[in-house]
Amino acid sequence: MSGADFVNLVISALLLAGVYAAMAVGMTVIYGVMKIVNLAHAGFLMLGAYFVYELYERGGVDPLLGVVLAFPAFFLLGVGLHRTLIRRLPVSDQPTLASLLLLFGLWLVLQNLGYLVWGNADRAILTPRTLSVLRLGPITIPAVRLVVFGGAAASLVALELVLHRTWFGRAVRALMQNRDAGRLVGVDVEGTARVAFGVGIAFAGAAGGMLAMLYSFSPDFGSPFLLRAFVIIVLGGLESFAGVAAGALVLALLETFSIQLLPASYQPAIAFSLLVVALAVLPGGLAGLWARRRRWA
Amino acid sequence: MTATGSAATASATSTATATATATAEDRGGGGGGGGGGGGRSRSGPAAAAARVAPWLLLAALAALPLAGPGPNLVRLLFVTLVWVTASVAWNLLGGFGGQVSFGFAVFYGLGAYAAAVALNAGLDPFSSCLLGAAVATVASLAIGLPTFRLKGPYFAIATIGVSEAVRVVMTNVSATGGASGYRVMEKGAFHQLQHFYSALGLAAGAVAISVLVRRSRLGLALVAVREDQDAAADLGVDPLRAKLLAHAIAAALTGAAGGLHARYAAYVNPQGEFAFAISVAILLMPIIGGVGTIWGPVIGACIYGLVHEEIIAAFPQLHLLIYGSLLIVIVLFEPGGIVGLLGRLVRAVDRRGHRGGSGGEGGLGARGGHGDPGDPGDRERLGQQAGHESRGRGTHAAAAP
Repeated sequence: MSGADFVNLVISALLLAGVYAAMAVGMTVIYGVMKIVNLAHAGFLMLGAYFVYELYERGGVDPLLGVVLAFPAFFLLGVGLHRTLIRRLPVSDQPTLASLLLLFGLWLVLQNLGYLVWGNADRAILTPRTLSVLRLGPITIPAVRLVVFGGAAASLVALELVLHRTWFGRAVRALMQNRDAGRLVGVDVEGTARVAFGVGIAFAGAAGGMLAMLYSFSPDFGSPFLLRAFVIIVLGGLESFAGVAAGALVLALLETFSIQLLPASYQPAIAFSLLVVALAVLPGGLAGLWARRRRWA
Repeated sequence: MTATGSAATASATSTATATATATAEDRGGGGGGGGGGGGRSRSGPAAAAARVAPWLLLAALAALPLAGPGPNLVRLLFVTLVWVTASVAWNLLGGFGGQVSFGFAVFYGLGAYAAAVALNAGLDPFSSCLLGAAVATVASLAIGLPTFRLKGPYFAIATIGVSEAVRVVMTNVSATGGASGYRVMEKGAFHQLQHFYSALGLAAGAVAISVLVRRSRLGLALVAVREDQDAAADLGVDPLRAKLLAHAIAAALTGAAGGLHARYAAYVNPQGEFAFAISVAILLMPIIGGVGTIWGPVIGACIYGLVHEEIIAAFPQLHLLIYGSLLIVIVLFEPGGIVGLLGRLVRAVDRRGHRGGSGGEGGLGARGGHGDPGDPGDRERLGQQAGHESRGRGTHAAAAP
């Protein structure tokens, strides 16, 4: 591998990591506040992809603008789902199987609604941007990846600002640390959870739109990314936003560089193996990781 | 039993006591005969009917092909019986033990592949399926040892990863044809009834094993682990051992079912046998039927097997949409599945003072010895959010349904 190849791979891993982080962060928000593992994440990624696609195909809306529009649209969808379904789950300080199965059922519903509406043909969003490439000497960067990375980074910065500068953000961070203590100091637990669920779904939808600019998609679009999102948040410590970025980077680097070593057909197994390893070497589940992370910090 | 039932209701807030009463009840339930989830009252004609019904069902199924229903119905029944076996097997670990696995396609697929390879090597069908079961059992130990250190939902997530990884690997194994699959070449004529009866035998065996496990120490240990793993460990149960054993038995049954199906279909491929949809189906059937009961998984599998074929032909995607919605409804409103719903109907019909506290049912959400899924206590814990301590406790128990 030449030096230029290496730099190219590192750059593409970094750009991928940005999208991965945006994709996983929605899961972290929901997990952190509600201790629910959002298995339906994949369904919302898929819906986000088709949302941007339909806006582009029917309305001629630029996909990047489509991604921006996805935030409010999916936020409302998330809030609505919280009101109708999620609210009815028993509240718990750790993920319950009831919540896991409920969201799994939701995933099945979304995915197969997707099949009903759009069929199982692969779609892709093709814009003049899609195939253009930026060249800096020996280094090449696909323009669309750069644009998507920019969108992902901007949304993550916005989330970070919201979490650290607003009352809602304080409430979210308080509930992540200790739900009961948060309640005691007057945090509206249910209201915060509802908004947090909306934010999580908003990020899922927008990330789906971003991924749709990079890859072709079908109603089964989300499932490989669902497991990637798991890996990222497990690696990152589940409740930490910096951890999400780190986990996304680790996964993106591993995936990008493994192409040099492994046949491409084995590539999907990397995320899954990493997930199993990350889960299995941490007895007592992810709480152990979190505690250890804190000890390191 | 009535006394135990009310005692359990009274002490439902304490998980440790709930565990103790649950085990006591299951012991009582074990003495009550093979009826299991179906028969609730322990005396009188209902109990007798509950005891006889399984045998009548078995006899009816065994006699059915003699009436000449045509090959398509026999095929449908064969497939349904394969599903019944897998569903009952999943329930051993997922229902009794509370360890929800999204990865049973691994065992189904490995059993199918092992049996297919053995059949092509000239082994007889029985030994081939046995080999399939053995391979699946070994895989269950290899998967279980690391993943059972994870609790509840984390185990469930890990099994998704395992099953996807195995599928990807099998897609790339060239010895068995990789993605294009592997054909089974068996010498001799095709006897559909032979396939049917072997599937019937396996399914009956699976139900019998399920009854035996539930009555055994293993069954008690599994229920205790489901209710509260830490409390069970304190009482001297080895959670890892119980889960591994249940996982192994379940894997063996699922592997044998996969082997039977591979022999019938004479073709296996990674997208078919290792598909996530297989894992999903094996998980949905017991939950729809009634998780943690003897007959719930059977009912769920019959519905899935029979209805599935009809719906899937007409609307290829609609069936999963329906099952997904059903799953949502079951989780939110009737964690006992169809068996729980039937139980509620039966109790609504004969509300005559005495509470039929058989209470051995599993259920996804809260339980802890309530005989009645429609009990206000249960409703409260599932539906709304009130009551600090009992809620924390209840959901903790529910974390391992």
